[in-house]
This record gives sequence, C-alpha cells and structure tokens, in this order.
Amino acid sequence: MPSSVVHAAVAAVLAVGLLGRFYDRQALAIVVAIVLVPELDTALGLVIAGAHRTVLHTMGLSAVATPLLYWETTREGSWIRGRWGARGVRIAWVCLVVHTFAHIAFDWTHLEGINLIWPAVDRFFVLEGEMYVSASEGFVQTFVDIARDPETGRGVIDAGQGGTRAETHVSNPAQPDPQPDPGPVDRRFPIAVRGWQLHLLLTGASVMAARRLQSDQFNPRGCGPNSTSDD
Amino acid sequence: MPSTLVAVAVGVLLAIALLGPAFNRSSVAIVAAAAAAPDLDLVFALVDLGDPNATLHTVFVPLLAAAVLYSDTRLGGASRLADRYGLYGVRVAWVAIAALMIAGIGVDAFSSEGVALLYPLSGRYYAVVGGFLLSTQDGIVQTYVTLADGWIEVSSPGTLDTHTIPSPVTPGGDRRLRIVETGEQAVLVATAIVALAAKWLVERYDRLAEARA
Repeated sequence: MPSSVVHAAVAAVLAVGLLGRFYDRQALAIVVAIVLVPELDTALGLVIAGAHRTVLHTMGLSAVATPLLYWETTREGSWIRGRWGARGVRIAWVCLVVHTFAHIAFDWTHLEGINLIWPAVDRFFVLEGEMYVSASEGFVQTFVDIARDPETGRGVIDAGQGGTRAETHVSNPAQPDPQPDPGPVDRRFPIAVRGWQLHLLLTGASVMAARRLQSDQFNPRGCGPNSTSDD
Repeated sequence: MPSTLVAVAVGVLLAIALLGPAFNRSSVAIVAAAAAAPDLDLVFALVDLGDPNATLHTVFVPLLAAAVLYSDTRLGGASRLADRYGLYGVRVAWVAIAALMIAGIGVDAFSSEGVALLYPLSGRYYAVVGGFLLSTQDGIVQTYVTLADGWIEVSSPGTLDTHTIPSPVTPGGDRRLRIVETGEQAVLVATAIVALAAKWLVERYDRLAEARA
C-alpha cells in the first residue's frame, strides 16, 4: 500500500469537498475509518496465504455496493434515510467514493497491485504505464498493451496482470515476506515514499487546516462573515 | 515534471474541497487555470523571457498575490475585490492562490525535476524527493531533507545553467507532451474527474433540498 496516511489524506480532501454541508468531525472520522478498513485483510493474510490485497482490495466490492446503495437510498422506506436522514445517505455515498478511489484505485498502481475483480476472477493486476503525445510517435499509452504473439499469431493483451492469490504476496509490515528468514525481521511502516506521496499528505493537511479557517455561513449572495483559505 | 494535467487535477480537487458556497462552473475554471498557470513559463522561456520551471514556479508569485489580496480585503478601507464581486470573489481568489501554490508549483516541486523556488534570488532548482518510513531495524528513516550545519537541505537537481527541463514546446529532439507518467497520476486524474461529477450531483441535490425546505 501507499501508506495509510496517504490514503487518509486523499480521503480527507474528498470528504471535505463532497460532504459539503454535512461536513463535521464525526463525518470525517467515519470516512477516514472506512478508507482504512481494507488494510484489515493484512490480518487475514497471516492465516490465509495471499488474502492481503485480495479479500478487501477488490473493485468487486465497489461494483456490488454501488447498485445496492443506489437501490437502498432511492427506494421508499430506505433504512439509511429513515435512520440517519439525508446526512446518512451522503456519508454512505462519500464512503463508497473514497473507498474506491482513495484506497483501492491507488493500491492498484502500487507494488504487485490488487486482485482487481476477485472473487469473480482470481488475478492480480497492477496499473503501470504512461501516456503521452510525441512528435515522432503520436499518441502513446502503455497502460494496456495490445500486441500479437509472434508464434501463435493470437492477440495478446497486457493490462498488467500478475499471479493469482496463492502466488502473489504483497509485502506489508505484518508480513514482510511470505517465508520469513531466520534472524531479525525488518518491518517497515511507510509514511510517505517518493515526492508525490508527501505532496498528497501535505495537501490533505492544508485542506483540513483551510477548511477550519473557513466559515459555513457565507453564501454567494454575500452576507455573513468572510472566510479565507490561506495556505 | 508531472504534466499540467496532473496539476489541474490537484487544482480541481482543491476547488471541490475549498470553494464551498462559491462553487460553480466559472470558479472551478478559475482555480483550475491558476493551477495550470505556472507551466506557462515553459512557453515564455522559448522567447527568452525567464526560465522554465522558474519564472512562474517561484514562491514569490503566490506570496505576492496573497499579500495583495490580504491588503485589499483586510487592511485599510473598502475592498475593491469585495465591492465588485462580493465575498464570492474573495473566496475564489484565496482558493486560486492555494491552487497556484499547492497544485501549480507544489506538484512540480515534489517531483524529480524540481522548481527554482527562490528565483530570481537564486537559480537553484529544488526537488523534494525521498522517503519517510518507520523501520523496526533502522528506526525512523527520512530522506526528504537533510540537516546540515543547522540548515535544512533538500535535494537539488542543479541550477539554471546545468539543469534542463524537458518541454513539449522547445524545438529540437523528440518533443513529447506528457499526459500522465505513472499509474498514480492516472488514478489522481480519474479521481479528480469523478469527484467533480460527484460534486455537481451533490450541489444539485442540495439546491433541490433547499428549495423544498
């Protein structure tokens, strides 16, 4: 994983914007808790080989949860709406967006990636590549490579697929290696690695600080105290 | 340097988070433009006006803008900006400055190509790259900055004379307009697009709820 701190920072930026009038400390705490939940499959990985980055790191969960949440929040007598009102509905949707993008999508790009549509298909995928327009080559993207196998003549699509759950171990602090070496084990808890992660972390912190300085009362027609978002 | 698209994506995320009641189509466009603006120095460098990742990537541009805005809105008598555009204008201006700093300059400063943060006082490029982690064997490992003789140093890829910034507009060689360089950048751009769509829905829903109440 890019560290949980980075996930939480991206989650905070999205929460501040999308919670809107429902933004408060409690709602933020719920969203940040949700973004950390997928790491629980690390614990499962100690018992079941390859469970980390599989059981909860799957887009399958979002694919199922999205229509389900839509049905639940739009039907007559919705349980979420009945119990928590519009605030509960908003928080539920923001949690879904944050889980999908701030956590699972970012892990898709990291190390061996995620078990993308487990349990439908047991296959790790990693999103790697670049996209550019070059003067000599035109438009180039390398995220999904489509080529023809020279021997069999069949089309081959490389979308960054790796091994199955049983073959793939994604290193994590709880289990740095699947077969531990004798001797001291180095467990590394990343906070931010590489420039962009530190940048996202600081962005999340600045957004939360700026949101505290802002007032809620201001409306576009202009009355109520002024607010600034200094940085 | 990460592409302008990545800076715009971060700028859009900031706009969604911070514009609040001032969020509308034109304010998002202004904030996104502020995030993209620093990369114009690549174009100006072509006609020998300033230097790439320097002229508009210096910390003095947002500092100056913030000072002007602060003195207009907080010091002295009536604020010209608030008189003309109301508190809407003031909010958009502050968020645009934040986007200029965090998205326009910040995204490049935290990449390996770096920015000349103190230009024109200094021609040195600075790049905040490294790592920060806790290890059970090595303790706290932090390589973003080094402490030397009471100074905090970040790595520098060179000075104006020694460090070249690849640019899609500079003639010669294989010119390349980068869109996204890594998977993370692609995810960041996708996140910004989805968040913008979600914010539209949320705003529309809130307006309907307000009209009903």
